[in-house]
Amino acid sequence: MTEYPILPEEAQEALKIVEQTVRQMRRAVVRGGMPHFLLLWGIVWVLGFGSTHFLGLESPQARTVWLVLTVPGIIVSMLIGWRLSDRVRSVWFGPAVGFFWLTWVIYTSLIVFFAQPQTGIQTSLLISLFAMFGYVTSGILYRSFFLSGFGALITVLIIVGYLFLPDWFNLWMAALGGGSLIAAGLYMRYAWR
Amino acid sequence: MARFDETIHQPVRLRIIAALNALPEGAQLDFGTLREMLEVTDGNLATHLRKLEEEGYITVEKTFVGRHPRTYIVLTHKGRWAFAEHVQALREILVNDKSKPESG
Repeated sequence: MTEYPILPEEAQEALKIVEQTVRQMRRAVVRGGMPHFLLLWGIVWVLGFGSTHFLGLESPQARTVWLVLTVPGIIVSMLIGWRLSDRVRSVWFGPAVGFFWLTWVIYTSLIVFFAQPQTGIQTSLLISLFAMFGYVTSGILYRSFFLSGFGALITVLIIVGYLFLPDWFNLWMAALGGGSLIAAGLYMRYAWR
Repeated sequence: MARFDETIHQPVRLRIIAALNALPEGAQLDFGTLREMLEVTDGNLATHLRKLEEEGYITVEKTFVGRHPRTYIVLTHKGRWAFAEHVQALREILVNDKSKPESG
């Protein structure tokens, strides 16, 4: 019979330590900047989609609001990524995070430009879905089930809003999409302390 | 049977390796962040890191961020492999214990 160097109780305790440390480490990394990232884009969504709803889909003012919100949003996102890179240096952290979202904006703009969605609602749908694609894939890269699951949940809300509330879609996105991003950011900030 | 690793099994070293293993492969963790997370002193952490470095489980890189000296730790492929083996050995101990016939 095989002799083991430790008792089963000790093995159990060691596995518990491993599990706790892994959870602690991932939270430390995610907490290093992710809540600010979610809060920032939650506010962008609330103001952007809110202004699109109230000013009108084709309104130049609504487009200006989006531009004014998105450009600083990307710059701040890059700074958040930079802050994360202070703790952990990796291809998945630091400036790479900012460049990931910058690339996302460029490609989403190109796709919307060439695909030419027929209505403003379809444009909003396309952009929102691409944003959630970014969240889900980021979650996979960060190994954060929370982030991926959150992105998937918002995706479902986007599709529900598009199919069943087309006239209220932008307000739906402002309240539920933006609101959920803010709620998730606050949850990570306070519950994971 | 998976290899039980005495070096890794020491509680602080187990937590160091578990923390590094939770990061993507090749990611370098800042010494200060690791010390805060493990709630150990600089000296204590440095001693355990040296032991792990001697085994080839981690590499330590000293660099400057701006004017400030920074130390980053990265788990090597050997370290990742040894940790996976060790965790497997711990699981085997539990499984074998459960499959033992009850005595008395």
